[in-house]
Amino acid sequence: MMKYTLFVGCNIPARVQQYELAARSVANRLGIELVENQEYKCCGYPMQNSDNKTFLMMAARNLALAEKEGLDMMVLCKCCFGSLKKAAHQIKQDAALQKEVNTFLAKEGLSYSGKTAIKHFLSILFHDVGIKKIKETISSPFTDLNIATHYGCHALRPSDVTQFDNPVNPSLFDDLVKVTGAKSVEWSLQLECCGAPLMGVNDKLSMDLAGKKLADCKAANADYICVGCPYCQMQFDRIQNLMLSERGQKQNNEIPSIVYPQLLGLAMGISEEALGLKMNMLDITTLESYIQTETEN
Amino acid sequence: MLYTFMVYIALSIFGIGLIYSLSNWFRLTVGSNADGTTTGNRISAAFKGIASILNKEKLTILGKVFVQDILLQKHIKKQDRLRWIMHMLIFTAFMFLLVFHAFDKIIKTPIFNRFYLSMNLWLVLAGLMVLTGLGVALYRRYILKVSRLKTSGMDLYTILIIAAIILSGMLMEIIKLGSYDSYQTIWWLHIFLSLLALALLPFSKMFHMFTTPLSLLANAVMDENSDPANIATKQMMELDACTHCDTCSKHCSVAVAYDTLGNDNILPSERMTFLKEYVANKNISTKKLAAIQQGIYLCTNCDRCTVVCPAGINLRELWFSAREALIQKKLPVDLMLTPFSYFRGLNHQRIGQKQYDIPLATVKNTLTSGDDFSQATLDAPIVLDHGDNEFQNALGISERTESFNYCFSCENCSTVCPVVINYADSQQSLDLLPHQIIRSVALGLKDMATGSKMLWNCLTCYQCQEHCPQGVKVTDIFNKLKLISIEDHK
Ligand code: SF4
Ligand code: SF4
Ligand code: SF4
Ligand code: SF4
Repeated sequence: MMKYTLFVGCNIPARVQQYELAARSVANRLGIELVENQEYKCCGYPMQNSDNKTFLMMAARNLALAEKEGLDMMVLCKCCFGSLKKAAHQIKQDAALQKEVNTFLAKEGLSYSGKTAIKHFLSILFHDVGIKKIKETISSPFTDLNIATHYGCHALRPSDVTQFDNPVNPSLFDDLVKVTGAKSVEWSLQLECCGAPLMGVNDKLSMDLAGKKLADCKAANADYICVGCPYCQMQFDRIQNLMLSERGQKQNNEIPSIVYPQLLGLAMGISEEALGLKMNMLDITTLESYIQTETEN
Repeated sequence: MLYTFMVYIALSIFGIGLIYSLSNWFRLTVGSNADGTTTGNRISAAFKGIASILNKEKLTILGKVFVQDILLQKHIKKQDRLRWIMHMLIFTAFMFLLVFHAFDKIIKTPIFNRFYLSMNLWLVLAGLMVLTGLGVALYRRYILKVSRLKTSGMDLYTILIIAAIILSGMLMEIIKLGSYDSYQTIWWLHIFLSLLALALLPFSKMFHMFTTPLSLLANAVMDENSDPANIATKQMMELDACTHCDTCSKHCSVAVAYDTLGNDNILPSERMTFLKEYVANKNISTKKLAAIQQGIYLCTNCDRCTVVCPAGINLRELWFSAREALIQKKLPVDLMLTPFSYFRGLNHQRIGQKQYDIPLATVKNTLTSGDDFSQATLDAPIVLDHGDNEFQNALGISERTESFNYCFSCENCSTVCPVVINYADSQQSLDLLPHQIIRSVALGLKDMATGSKMLWNCLTCYQCQEHCPQGVKVTDIFNKLKLISIEDHK
């Protein structure tokens, strides 16, 4: 049985609960055990541009807690993933820094040596569970469904640090979508940023970037955009909803966003409630109409 | 005679204090929700609000909250058993003493008559329960040292005065049958302490015995769509309902930043203490303002504090109101240019356009060179691995920020940058393109490198860094430049 310590971060419990709900449902179906730890705090991501020491200590404390449990970490958010990876990388490169971090952690009786592996949810599905095993659990595959996969910056890049997938031609997420029976469409802005880091800083720019991506995957005939990160999800769900009303975009131009475990869960025959489909802002319940009716053959 | 006089004095001070606190609830505000409404409006809004909950559905909710959260305090039990035991011991025994002992002239019970002349076992038992509870409180604060649990003068006063009242009362019971003189002295002491606590109650932490239940009840039937006047009043009441229990700080997602930065205001419970003072006098020193702005903006809006607060305070909304009010105060808030702003952006429709834009413009104007960009000084040399600080030196090496040396100006970074692509007139809109920033770094042009709009509109998407043929850590260098610039503007 696979066992991980689950790191949900700050946004998911407050604003994207459906992601955790669906991820747990799917993990349960795949026989993955998730251990909870109430002690985890912010990963440090929002501190990166304003105080590097605080950023590092925030990240390192979480890593030390995981190390104490002796388990690998399953991270749902790509920005959490990126910043934990970055901190681990910085500490690994620099013995003096590691010492400083450990002096700090010692006050809480913690220590960090770098043993814990930091893994994003999608990597765990792809590498640790494997497409073959996932395939066996698919009971209601989709048909005629076009999905646009959005990889998310902080998992993909900088690739020498995150080591998530090939940074210019990734395929892991597309394979995970294909196993549900859906088609993963090709679209040119697939690897671009969703705009979230500038929301609240330069809203116009942030929305322009999100809008361009949405128009691009719409043009590629996608029915939904699929993500594996709460920031991307908020951007394509709640912010898209704001854009639809504020920017006077036509309603039929919308392209709803879905978090990956919701998509996978539906194909596994997991109920709508256990996947939190209704918790999305833009309606995604229509997804069920793409499920093949005669699943027996 | 003297006794009656003392009781009246204590009751008058209590009454004045009560009126003062209540008037504050309707007069003052945390944020600007109630701008333009008078105290009269707020009082009538409160009556309307109360009238609107007099229906079966709402009353059922309130009844449930009363039993589960106020009497049984289940939410405390769920989080911290020891604290629940502590609070239940004090709460039940104290209530018992209040009803059957302090008010024994009003509430007559047959259980006590039997003890008229001998030691009253019930009283001693209740006293012991309170003392045990206080013992646990001291143990948590001073021996267990629950992490980041801060003890203020008010916390200590509360523990000490209750302890003194109970101890004097118990002593009185024990020596009741012995020396009459010393019994008299202790009796006066006991009465004096009890009346003192009563008189100071509206000004002390013990006031929470009224306000915390009120806050729990109010939040069970109110949300952010309630009448803004009532929200403003409720938020004032919530400040009084906070018991400085530190549960929020214990669970706060950014508590680690308090450990590294040492700014008390980062901890939510300390922000509450600050706000209590602030609402009464909003003119604060620049130094204090800078500290509270950092504290209140350094928040991931993770909602944990709201979920765990045993007083049921809606901290999410309290932070929202207080934050908006505090960042309007001209001083630039550098954290506004970080992902901490996401929540504010997500909720921009709840903030007036002007109010939304001004603080952002203030910090952008401070950190970028603005219209003077072309005149940015050309001679200040740039120091990427800041001199003597060993820690920063170390970071410079581990991030390889010195890699700017390898840039051969191929412009790849600028070609792939989604921000550059987004602007038709990118050079004008952004001052410098990414490769030009790297070039300025190489030339040692610090003001140029840190002052361009490009730098502060960088997504940290790492496209540039990933595509640089020379392995220049473009994004990491940009992050470092932002750190240097923020440091310089402190
Ligand atoms: S806000 Fe709530 S949790 Fe925080 S100190 Fe006050 S009562 Fe305790
Ligand atoms: S919402 Fe802010 S103050 Fe509350 S726990 Fe989270 S980070 Fe701390
Ligand atoms: S891509 Fe690299 S080498 Fe080319 S201009 Fe940018 S930083 Fe310089
Ligand atoms: S990290 Fe910044 S500079 Fe680099 S490509 Fe992204 S937005 Fe442009």
